[in-house]
Amino acid sequence: MRRLLALAGLVLCLVLAWVAPSMAQSGGDADSSQPSVLEGTLRVGFDQFFAGVEITVADQSGTKVGQAVTDSEGQWSVTVPGAGAYRVTLDESTLPEGIGLREGFESTVEVAVTEGASRAVVFAVGEAPKGTPFGERAAQTVFNGLKFGLIIAMSAIGLSLIYGTTGLVNFAHGELVTFGAVIAWYFNSSWGELNLIVAAIVTMIVCGMLGAGLETGLFRPLRHRRLGIFQLVVVTIGLSLLGRQVIQLFFGAEPLPYTDFQVQERWEFGPWAVTPRELVTVAVIIVLLLAVGMMLQWTRFGKATRAVSDNASLAEASGINVNRVVLMVWAMGAALAGLGGVFQGLDTDIDPFLGFQLLLLIFAGVELGGLGTAFGALAGSLIIGMSTEVSTLWISPELKFVVPLAALILVLLFRPQGLFGIKARVG
Amino acid sequence: MPDDVMPRPESASADTAIEPILTVPPVAGVPKPHPILVVDELTRSFGGLRAVDVDHLEVERGVVTALIGPNGAGKTTLFNLLTGFDRADTGRWSFDGQPVSSPSPDQLARKGMIRTFQLTKSLAKLTVLDNVLLGAPSQVGERLSAAPFRSRWQNQEEANIELAEELLDRFNLAHMRDELAGTLSGGQRKLLEVARALMADPVMIMLDEPMAGVNPALAQSLMHHITQLAFEGLTVVFIEHAMDVVTGISDWVVVLAQGRIIAEGPPWKVIHDDEVIDAYLGRRRAGG
Amino acid sequence: MDFDIIFGNAARAAFGPEAVILALAAIGLNVHFGFTGLLNFGQVGFLLLGAYGTSVSVATFGWSLWVGILVGLVLSVALAVALGFPTLRLHAVMFAIVTIAAAEIIRILIGSTDAIGLTGGPLSVSFDAGAFYDLNPYPDGPHDRYGVGTFEFTGQQMWVITVGWVLVALVSLVVFLIVRSPWGRVLKSIREDEDAARSLGKNVFSYKMQALIIGGVIGGMGGVVDAIKTSGADPNGFRPQVTFFAYTALLLGGAATYLGPVLGAILFWFLREWIESFLRQLTAEAWLPDAVADFLSGSEGVISVAMVGLTLVLLMLFRPQGITGNRIEMQLDAR
Repeated sequence: MRRLLALAGLVLCLVLAWVAPSMAQSGGDADSSQPSVLEGTLRVGFDQFFAGVEITVADQSGTKVGQAVTDSEGQWSVTVPGAGAYRVTLDESTLPEGIGLREGFESTVEVAVTEGASRAVVFAVGEAPKGTPFGERAAQTVFNGLKFGLIIAMSAIGLSLIYGTTGLVNFAHGELVTFGAVIAWYFNSSWGELNLIVAAIVTMIVCGMLGAGLETGLFRPLRHRRLGIFQLVVVTIGLSLLGRQVIQLFFGAEPLPYTDFQVQERWEFGPWAVTPRELVTVAVIIVLLLAVGMMLQWTRFGKATRAVSDNASLAEASGINVNRVVLMVWAMGAALAGLGGVFQGLDTDIDPFLGFQLLLLIFAGVELGGLGTAFGALAGSLIIGMSTEVSTLWISPELKFVVPLAALILVLLFRPQGLFGIKARVG
Repeated sequence: MPDDVMPRPESASADTAIEPILTVPPVAGVPKPHPILVVDELTRSFGGLRAVDVDHLEVERGVVTALIGPNGAGKTTLFNLLTGFDRADTGRWSFDGQPVSSPSPDQLARKGMIRTFQLTKSLAKLTVLDNVLLGAPSQVGERLSAAPFRSRWQNQEEANIELAEELLDRFNLAHMRDELAGTLSGGQRKLLEVARALMADPVMIMLDEPMAGVNPALAQSLMHHITQLAFEGLTVVFIEHAMDVVTGISDWVVVLAQGRIIAEGPPWKVIHDDEVIDAYLGRRRAGG
Repeated sequence: MDFDIIFGNAARAAFGPEAVILALAAIGLNVHFGFTGLLNFGQVGFLLLGAYGTSVSVATFGWSLWVGILVGLVLSVALAVALGFPTLRLHAVMFAIVTIAAAEIIRILIGSTDAIGLTGGPLSVSFDAGAFYDLNPYPDGPHDRYGVGTFEFTGQQMWVITVGWVLVALVSLVVFLIVRSPWGRVLKSIREDEDAARSLGKNVFSYKMQALIIGGVIGGMGGVVDAIKTSGADPNGFRPQVTFFAYTALLLGGAATYLGPVLGAILFWFLREWIESFLRQLTAEAWLPDAVADFLSGSEGVISVAMVGLTLVLLMLFRPQGITGNRIEMQLDAR
């Protein structure tokens, strides 16, 4: 529980580790009793921080006045003798492989700092212009896109089926994903130190139970009270905020990795260089998606689910136990969302915002395909995942989430019902 | 020339409107003497299913036309297409002498084609009076530039209120004036919707099952109102299942089955038509 | 435990600039959601453009603050128009998601390192709001304080909140005047059933667009106040949950009422700050077990936001009409 202390300070909810420079600047009241500080964070996007990078600070005459190495959150700071202008140099050779300064940015910047203030220094880092041919990079991003799209698709199943069977748009679905990632982290690194595979299975069970609990304890009673759609949406927004904050309260705001499968050698397949864990991720999700698809198509439960989605009262009248179907859908959807969280956490490390960030893309996938169509949700998710990753061939990775969201808006401009949705009749 | 072919709508009093329709032969797609609505080759498919497939249809001005047909015949879909709430795959139609191109529901409504819905769309959290007032056409106060200045719309509003109260009175809703529409019974909502539609000063009113769910006494008075409206020169088209209602108030009946018009004519002729009886009983039509 | 301090903090938050900003955001949402039924989940995008329009105009382009304010408001209108065209025909839920997405797109773009030269990128942008404070009529010496006991403001703060609350009052009045008219009746009819409005000849798209623009500009004003208050803007201040806070304020006060969003914003900040200050005082208490105090200290803000979430849930369960809303109206809303 010592980790809780590490939370201190970074409270007001908006916190990601990289807020530090801007906070320091706005909080940097000139106070002559304080030393002047230069500082910054090396990061790409919202989830990649670079540790072990050397930063050197020299004064105007070129005399070295300080040096720093970035920590695990990519942060560094150097205390300088006083007010004045300094040259800050980033040692590019200490950046991780494939990462370099972005085009148009120099490895040395000049900054001025006032007495007692702290001043943020930005180095724009990103994927270095590689020697690898475009075709190979393209192939790699396509694989990354497939993997990301599959993670989105698996997380989306629950959202889509719950919407289909009950009409509930669950804004707290992202927190189910986060919950899965975080619970697996606890199983993996503190409670019993389970192997991550075992931890993931246990996580699915826990998440499934949580989903079932939410349905029986909260949403079923709410349906019986005939709350309007909007009120239900607000309830899920409240749950989303509550869940995220509670997770942050225990887990902390900083990203952490699982203890297993972190360092793996990449296997080469033609243009692809893939780690075993990525292969397993893709394979497991494909198998699970096929299993869910076959179940929906051929099993009694699957047929009942589709019947309830089509017309709940008609299904009820023809002898289907709607409550049980919805309960199963919740349990299954939450379990899959939790597993999606584990895979996403394996890919990017775990933090309390993991699920909420994914939620927007899950929604985008489901909407792009057309609300309430299972196949559409899968196709939409893959398009979203693919466009996110492939866009990094041309644009900076920190902007990659812009592409799928913009694509969503564009598609809806021409097909308001989504790519595979059907317009409803009026009247 | 056109004046010879098409008399002015205002001159179409009850006598001149109903008399000629009686001379029209009861044949599907037959031309009428004073059509207000002319539809050609209108089709709409959902998936593989042709919901509407109308070769030619004319609706006579100033008379009450009933649109009947078995469930799933495409009656509501036809309404939706004509009023712009759904988009046709093919087809063209003209309303009140003007061709309708790229129909939008609000434009058609402003031209005087006002409809109601099978599932009532009463505005639950508006008062009954506000529901009716909403129907009033060309309100100054509905423009944002005038909205904040009460003096600019007050007079018109007061006149509209007077009119709305008359309508509410006619439909036995006057005592509910300040209640929220959501508190009304299903039948009262139907009446409210008709009152609201009339407030919009329609040229043609299209009622989708106006009697469904209305208690018999109110239904009787609603039927009376409808015949009265036609007498005053309004064109009425309505969808109905109850045959006694159809025969009771309609001057002309159009029968739809599987999206096609299979028969039309005066009610007493149509209900004895073999093809119509077949359609209702679900028998296969001879010669398909 | 010093309840004077807790109360003073809570009251300052309830009447301070943060509450003004939230009130404006919520009034805008009230026009969108409360009166028109537009489920705008991207209100924060309007605040962002208001704040950045002002800040960037002054900081990057060196224009006067007044021009900057105008730019901020014009950008809010532009967002409403740009957002409205592709989205106003969408299903309510889709509209909600697309508006969040649009606000996020703007935040990511503005906060990207590529935008450093224009907006400061991931760093905050800051500017000199002197032109505003020059007009401050309140003496603002180091010892000038306005208020009672622990509930007090400096002269500069007084000036911001005076202008802020006058603005809130004016905006509320304008909203009242336009919504009680036949124009407002059309908005409400669209909220209840847009097909009904269409069938009566109302151009639903046009009315929705007008509502989106008006509510968006009001949100943009909130952003302008934010920019002036902090003399700058930071992309992290404009995350999606700002919109949800505004919804909390609106629903707390009562949607589709005229004073609801204002009362809601005041209450929101009062409660949130009360909880946070209370927890802060609590962790200092000697009788509290160390483990509990350790757990709580530094997490007061996290907990107070968690309470916002809890409030939303409880509100919907037990008083969906908010503190000023009409219960009967809510019960009719079973769609």
